[in-house]
Amino acid sequence: MTVPAGLKMARKHGASFGDDRLWRWLTFSPALGLMLLLSVLPLVNLLISSFQDISWADGSAVRTFAGLSSYHALAADTLFAAGLANTFIFAFAAVAGQMVLGLGLALLSSKVTRGRVLYRAIFILPILIPGIVIGAIWKLMLNYDFGLVNQGLALLGIMPQDWLGAPETALLSVIMVDIWHWTPFCFLLFLAGLESLPQDVFEAARIDGASAWQEFFHVTLPLIIPTIVVTFAFRLVLAFKVFDEVYLLTSGGPGTATEVVSFTLYQRFFTEDRIGYGSAMSIAVIFIVSLLLVIALSARRQAAAS
Amino acid sequence: MKKELKLSRRHVIAGMAAATAGTAWRPVWAASVAPITIVINQSPWFESFRKTVELYEAESGNQVELDVNPFAGSLEKQRNSVRAKQGQYDILIMNSGWFTEMYAGGFVDPLTDIDPSFKLDPEIFTLGDTVYYNADKKTVTADGKLMSVPVSPLIPMLYYRGDLYAEAGLKAPRTFAELEANARRFHEPPARYGIVQRGARGPHTVAYDFYPYLYGQGGGIFKDQSSGDYSVTLNSPQGREALEYYIRLAREAGHPKTAAMDQAEVIQSMVTGHAAHIMMVIAAWSQMDDPNKSAIVDKVEWAPTPSMPGLPTAPGLGHWLAGIARNVPDDRKRSAIEFLRWFQTKQAQLATAKAGGIPVHAGVYSEPIADERKYRWMKPLAEALPHAVNVYQFPEASEVIAVLELGLNRAIAGEITAVDALNGMADEIHAVMEKYKYKTAQLEPLR
Repeated sequence: MTVPAGLKMARKHGASFGDDRLWRWLTFSPALGLMLLLSVLPLVNLLISSFQDISWADGSAVRTFAGLSSYHALAADTLFAAGLANTFIFAFAAVAGQMVLGLGLALLSSKVTRGRVLYRAIFILPILIPGIVIGAIWKLMLNYDFGLVNQGLALLGIMPQDWLGAPETALLSVIMVDIWHWTPFCFLLFLAGLESLPQDVFEAARIDGASAWQEFFHVTLPLIIPTIVVTFAFRLVLAFKVFDEVYLLTSGGPGTATEVVSFTLYQRFFTEDRIGYGSAMSIAVIFIVSLLLVIALSARRQAAAS
Repeated sequence: MKKELKLSRRHVIAGMAAATAGTAWRPVWAASVAPITIVINQSPWFESFRKTVELYEAESGNQVELDVNPFAGSLEKQRNSVRAKQGQYDILIMNSGWFTEMYAGGFVDPLTDIDPSFKLDPEIFTLGDTVYYNADKKTVTADGKLMSVPVSPLIPMLYYRGDLYAEAGLKAPRTFAELEANARRFHEPPARYGIVQRGARGPHTVAYDFYPYLYGQGGGIFKDQSSGDYSVTLNSPQGREALEYYIRLAREAGHPKTAAMDQAEVIQSMVTGHAAHIMMVIAAWSQMDDPNKSAIVDKVEWAPTPSMPGLPTAPGLGHWLAGIARNVPDDRKRSAIEFLRWFQTKQAQLATAKAGGIPVHAGVYSEPIADERKYRWMKPLAEALPHAVNVYQFPEASEVIAVLELGLNRAIAGEITAVDALNGMADEIHAVMEKYKYKTAQLEPLR
């Protein structure tokens, strides 16, 4: 019996693919093992610690099994509850502001032909500034007695505001600082997205007599939805992890007005040295961030499918 | 003509001997002990400590390296170092908020275990006996072992504008009623506030500011820590009086953003002339008369924090202690002991005072320096120090401080009433003490 030439080739190819795959796994496995060791092992350690109480005696750690007590305590921790609620408000409000401003700036910037490099450099400036410097800048700007913001208001005859010290304005002030800081990130992604859109669709819309608004709502926006979803997902996860701005500007106060979950975690784990409880809180936070990421990714998939 | 150099055997041996002597020779002041590293925080008194250390290096030839950090960073570095197999830091500069954690955890060695001949100078302030630790009783009492040497005897003092007082013909307030009356008198916002308080939430911020009010009213957090009774007394009528007084002062004669004021902003208010009074840790004294930082040079006076009639001043200890880490080599422990032995001398403490620091040696306060105008804070401080309150005598203090920081700040910000804050904090502190199996109880909630 003769074997067709095509089948011969397929078999030969299949055998070599199998060898190739084995070889790929063999060469890849040390790196994979190292990565798993570095990323999974700390998480496993954190998970184990979350079921323990850890104290110190004679210079050594004394670990006692505590079961789920730390997780039960989470439910009764008012600071954690306030932190979670504020984090959600902070993350969604700040990211929404950054998305709108970032998209607006990207649209404007994409239309500019002269001096576009200068505009873009100015727009991305805040993202280049280290967090600690941003804290210093805005602590000075929002200072009740000497801050530029209140001095500006005084010129307009408006009474000074306690931006960071009043419960009504403190969280809003931190959100505004975060918007100022991270809008350039959205701007850059949106600009890249806009510049990669096919121009023939826009030309067709213009030939059909579409106005600028119609072009934006019916052409630009649908085409840029995947970029919007990815940017939103990235920023939401990053915003959920906010720490430096709160730590530097308000330390979570006044009261719990600007308490965010990362700051609660910092207090419980590091300041109070409650390693077991802090580990349980860390696991809970990781779970929530992962959940957000999954939701955002499935939203992206749905957007891509539609 | 080229001259040939010829060396005899004797010349060679003599040259080698000279070279050996040259490399091995050390001046008489050169290091006699191993170099040490001190982990310390960046506080207003740090510069004086640095200068004192430099003097020690110059006098002894021994080397000292300083690892300088922010307040919270210093604690974290100390924890990381003492929990490692071998520590990085030989001397830990420990704050009143965490020294018991280091004692009880076995992270610092008793000084007399390192060197049985080491004795604390009898004129060194023992600051509520916090230099001792009794491991059996798990508390700081004079019958325990000597664990540390005080570095800075910090307590809050009342800073007031002497020039305004002189104009008004007033004397320094001794009671809370006098302070309130004087604060109201000088309250001219926004140009000047009667008093500026440190009401922000932080690692140990508003709680530390509140202690002189609480203890000066006859209140407290626990019934009797020294005897092991950790019954929570925060929500007593005196506690309520103290918190309501603090809030009234803030609202009616204080800064409108008291709930957000931290230490730096309070000091800033004083040196810019925006405050008539502040209650601030004494370490900030040198900034008041520094013409580069202050608009009120020579106008500030100091007094012990006020109290109720019949009660003594009661500032909370916010002092710093130097202990030697357990997990460092023995030669470095001995070097650290040598440094502490020198540091507690009257001469070293006098140098500290002249460098802008707060001496821990009582003898310095009776030296002529205490009569100089520049050091006019010394006598009020010496008067107040014997009454300083050691607020925490157990290692889990940081959890109680966190409860106080949040509860007090919420009350000052107006989120909750003083009564709700006190009852809530008392509940939480009681839960903390119960969790760690201390003998504890609670008062009836305030209504």
